[in-house]
Amino acid sequence: MVKKSKMLGLALSAALVFGLAACGGGAKETQGSSSNAGNSGTAAEVKAPDKKITITFQNIFPDPTDPKHQIMNKLVDKYESENPNIKIELDSLNTDQQKLKLKTQAASKEVPDITVVNPAAQMKPFVEANLFAPLNDMLDQNGLKDTFQEGLLDWYSFDGNIYALPDGNNIAVVYYNKELFEQGGVEVPTTFEEMLDVVKKLKEKGITPIAIGEKDSWTGSFLFMNMLLRTNGPGFLNDVLDNKKTFEDPAFLQAVDAFQSLVEAGAFQEGATSFDYNAGENLFKTGQSAMYFMGSWATGGIETSSVNGKVGVFKFPTIGGKGDPNEFMLAPGSAFAISADSKHLQETKDFLNYFMLNFPKEAFDAKGAVGIGQIVEGDFKAAGYSDMAMEVLDLFKEVKGGDLAFDNTMNPGTAQAHLSSIQNLFVQKKESSEVAKEHQTAYEANNK
Amino acid sequence: MNVLKVSRLTITLFVLPCLLIYSGMVFIPILVSLYSGLLDWNGIGESTFVGLENFKNLFFHDPVFWPSVRRTLMFAVFSMSEIPIALLVAILLRRFIKRPNFLVSSYFLPVILSVVIVGQLWKTIYNPASMGGMLNQVLIMAGLDSWARPWLTDPAVAMYALYFVALWQYLGYHTLIQFTGVSNIPNELYEAARIDGAEGFKADRHITFPLIVPIFKISIVLAFIGSLQAFDMVMVMTAGGPAHATDVISTHMYNMSFLSMKYGYGSSIAAFLVVVCLIATLIINLIFNSLEKRFS
Repeated sequence: MVKKSKMLGLALSAALVFGLAACGGGAKETQGSSSNAGNSGTAAEVKAPDKKITITFQNIFPDPTDPKHQIMNKLVDKYESENPNIKIELDSLNTDQQKLKLKTQAASKEVPDITVVNPAAQMKPFVEANLFAPLNDMLDQNGLKDTFQEGLLDWYSFDGNIYALPDGNNIAVVYYNKELFEQGGVEVPTTFEEMLDVVKKLKEKGITPIAIGEKDSWTGSFLFMNMLLRTNGPGFLNDVLDNKKTFEDPAFLQAVDAFQSLVEAGAFQEGATSFDYNAGENLFKTGQSAMYFMGSWATGGIETSSVNGKVGVFKFPTIGGKGDPNEFMLAPGSAFAISADSKHLQETKDFLNYFMLNFPKEAFDAKGAVGIGQIVEGDFKAAGYSDMAMEVLDLFKEVKGGDLAFDNTMNPGTAQAHLSSIQNLFVQKKESSEVAKEHQTAYEANNK
Repeated sequence: MNVLKVSRLTITLFVLPCLLIYSGMVFIPILVSLYSGLLDWNGIGESTFVGLENFKNLFFHDPVFWPSVRRTLMFAVFSMSEIPIALLVAILLRRFIKRPNFLVSSYFLPVILSVVIVGQLWKTIYNPASMGGMLNQVLIMAGLDSWARPWLTDPAVAMYALYFVALWQYLGYHTLIQFTGVSNIPNELYEAARIDGAEGFKADRHITFPLIVPIFKISIVLAFIGSLQAFDMVMVMTAGGPAHATDVISTHMYNMSFLSMKYGYGSSIAAFLVVVCLIATLIINLIFNSLEKRFS
């Protein structure tokens, strides 16, 4: 009993002390404004820098050799020196880690002030959970909206609100090594049938025709979707979503067959499904493969590799006479979004506004402006961009629409089933009807 | 009861931090994940309570789940069958090598390597010959061309290729544990046995085996639980591919929770894994308790 009362006394006295302290704090504040009236000017001055605001900037540019990393650091430093009360804390992660971290943070509603998301279907769950702030008002500031390419922001809009600002807008192209093409005695193919022929001839000469990093299964899907874009024309997945078509459509079957003929011709390096994205790309960058199908974002990396100067690009050819080569796989890039629960929403918006306004010019100067999502002023040739970069930029001018990647259109569950179904084609021959059925079943199971 | 002559309050106070941390880090997450297993939830937005729907789909409609369970259990069986070999190595080391420490340390070396490094190393060994894969080149040089294959991308053999790497990495680990156990058996016993005419295998049968049972059990439990949770090695080498051919329970769980964004469904797989681990540990304990009773 004695002990109990002692404890009680302790607790009570603790409460008392804290209570007093709280009162004291309050009293001090009021005192500051009344009795220290004479000094209030200096007090306010001291107060302002004290209230330093920290903005967390999660990004996917951890690689110091990446031009975007350098641009980001430059702009952040500049902004901090112009706005001494703001500190930008960088949280630089590679793409996969960032995706995982953001999902974990989102589950506990602790999204960083600025984060990175992918367009359309991939960012939809986040928007539906009200995790992002609409950026419409901020886009009207300083005319930021007009710096973006026309129609690009639509991929990041839901119900008339824009939720994220992309740093890139890419198309899928086929890079090819001119030297290896010469060795194999082949020309740039304009039809898929010619492409198969090129593959066979290269193979005979002991040259790996196409490099791919299929352990990261989106790479194969990206190629497959380009074939579907040829056999069907744009909008297949949207037609499926609108119940106008199913995966058992003849165009889909034809794309699967075409894809399998490529695999059977030995187009890809042996053991392709154990190569991750970087390992696959490295085969091309070290001159060990003749072709590489990838988004135009790969341009920068190829320019700094050993095959620089020997590489050209071409559009993915028509299949069985079908399709328009000027329709591309479109890859609106990863984009910056702002947390709806940010403690410093206005300051964060101001910073991102500044960042995006200055991004195109800085990217242009850093030779990283191929495939960015904003309109760039300036003469690329005069600025010293490589011939390959110029070729890619020319392709951009010919774009007449196209499709988004599978996982940007379908929900994650369907997308995963699709990815592993396509990955399977690399190791096993399958009836195209069976592949179609796998897709349809997965689609129905994930869209109840 | 109060042999320590300290007040209950003190005991409570000293036990409390550990208890709180332990339940906060272990019990509560397990309970939360069991509960999440009953939700239809993408991990971010609104969740709806669906009862046992996830488990129903898991057990009856998921084409990847049961094969991945089978692969996980096979993994466990292989890992456990490695331990008698580790014990044999330990006994041989103890009997025939004068200064076995160097050898034991060498066997142990792969264990301290990061799984990512081991994975990358074996990936290059398993590569197709055209990509410089060592194993295939050796096979071709030995005239066994028909045996050469892309080990990690052939669905028929990929999983066995993974098992082998895990066995290779952990053989040293279990050898070390068994070696410690064997070394702790007093020499006098063997000397006494020799006087009675029991040497070599006979001595092992009657002295080493009965006395090593508790240590053997530790290895078995570690191997079993370790292979149920196998994740990193699979992720580094094949990421469950090609087309789920090397998916185990934990990689399937990862795919579902984080890539397919079915957090609730992923949690139900996690719950299944917890239950399997608990049951398996119980069974192993029961078996070994009866073994220990028989030998002591």
